[in-house]
Amino acid sequence: MKKILFVEDEEALQQAMGKMLEQHNYNVLKALDGEIGLKVAQKEMPDLILLDLILPKKNGFEVLEELKNDPATKNIPVIVLTNLEGSAEVERALSLGATTYLVKANYKLDELLTKIEIVLNHAH
Amino acid sequence: MAKWTRSLNLKKVCWEYRVGLWQCPQFLFLIMGIIIILAILVTYIVASRYQEPEFAAITVLALTAILFTIGNLIVRAFETVALAARSKSEFISIMSHQLRSPLSAIKWQLDLLLTGNQQNPLETIYAQNERMIQSVNDLLEVNRIEDNDLILRPAPSLIKEMTQQVANEYKNFAAASNVGIEIEAEENIPKMLVDGERIKHVIGHLIDNAVRYSVGGGNVVINISAKGNKLIWKITDHGAGIPADDQKRVFDKFFRSNQALRYQTEGAGVGLFIAKAIIIKSGGDIGFSSLPNKGSTFWFSLPIKK
Repeated sequence: MKKILFVEDEEALQQAMGKMLEQHNYNVLKALDGEIGLKVAQKEMPDLILLDLILPKKNGFEVLEELKNDPATKNIPVIVLTNLEGSAEVERALSLGATTYLVKANYKLDELLTKIEIVLNHAH
Repeated sequence: MAKWTRSLNLKKVCWEYRVGLWQCPQFLFLIMGIIIILAILVTYIVASRYQEPEFAAITVLALTAILFTIGNLIVRAFETVALAARSKSEFISIMSHQLRSPLSAIKWQLDLLLTGNQQNPLETIYAQNERMIQSVNDLLEVNRIEDNDLILRPAPSLIKEMTQQVANEYKNFAAASNVGIEIEAEENIPKMLVDGERIKHVIGHLIDNAVRYSVGGGNVVINISAKGNKLIWKITDHGAGIPADDQKRVFDKFFRSNQALRYQTEGAGVGLFIAKAIIIKSGGDIGFSSLPNKGSTFWFSLPIKK
């Protein structure tokens, strides 16, 4: 079973995404802030990370940078999943090594599932 | 033709732009035209009366200086308009982000409901909906403040009871982060003439901040005391405090300290901006003192009007 880590401080989003992914036989790991997200990533080595940008303790950019600077975690694909949509943010996230940049409000859960599976299949 | 005559009604045009006469390009342009005509006439008269060319030169110079000043005023007026436009677009971008968060939560919850995977998302949807209503209300309030259209509705209010009521509303929220709320109030606080709803909003916002930044628990203390003809509220927490660099900007619209974002990711940064506008409009004053890692005390005063 593939492991997906979702770093997101909004409980309602965690819950909805978690339920959907579990239904499709993924093992979902949840982190409600950036610090925990980073720790869980290093400990559990998930197959994919969904990362929000505005997060308590450590923001998404900091998490992304640390993940990509750590040889152990730098190959885990990261999908940035946020509601920020400035071109500066998109550019920064992609240059830090994010695989894709998606805006939460623009996607239904099953559309996100498709995106997630594309990234997962591409990585292996 | 109608359009042309309308543009002659400068007072109306400038009022529609919501700027004063001396900031209104149309008015300034008219004044400039009049001065140019005067300048030509005066130069002609001076030149025909006096033989010395210096007189004419000095007159022209003086009038040019006035024209230059007015030109400068027009440039300033344009700057005001440009800044307002920028501030509006910044506002739209922040507020739409504010709305997008609950909207995506609702969207995903509804997704689950429609695919039959969710039993009862209604509570979540309700809470997200409340968040959006609050955001939109704040947005409208900021707009009223900027348009100078904040109209207070003062009524005699029981101050202590009012404060107690707001504190009670935050009790559960505070308890969830191990924070208690205490009220210390003098015995005979008079009934006062205030806009109750808005003052409650201010008290609520200050309590909300105090609780949110009380990292690691501790009590939030609300103190109410009379001093001269003013009543003073002090809301004290033992939380994160505000870094010295950020202290100047806490009442600025949209300002969110990076420190604050580490504890509290929600919010558009308009709460204290609104609170300040309400208190100033009510004839009071607002301020704070804060030490990083020790906590903050936010205070505001209102004139005792019965």
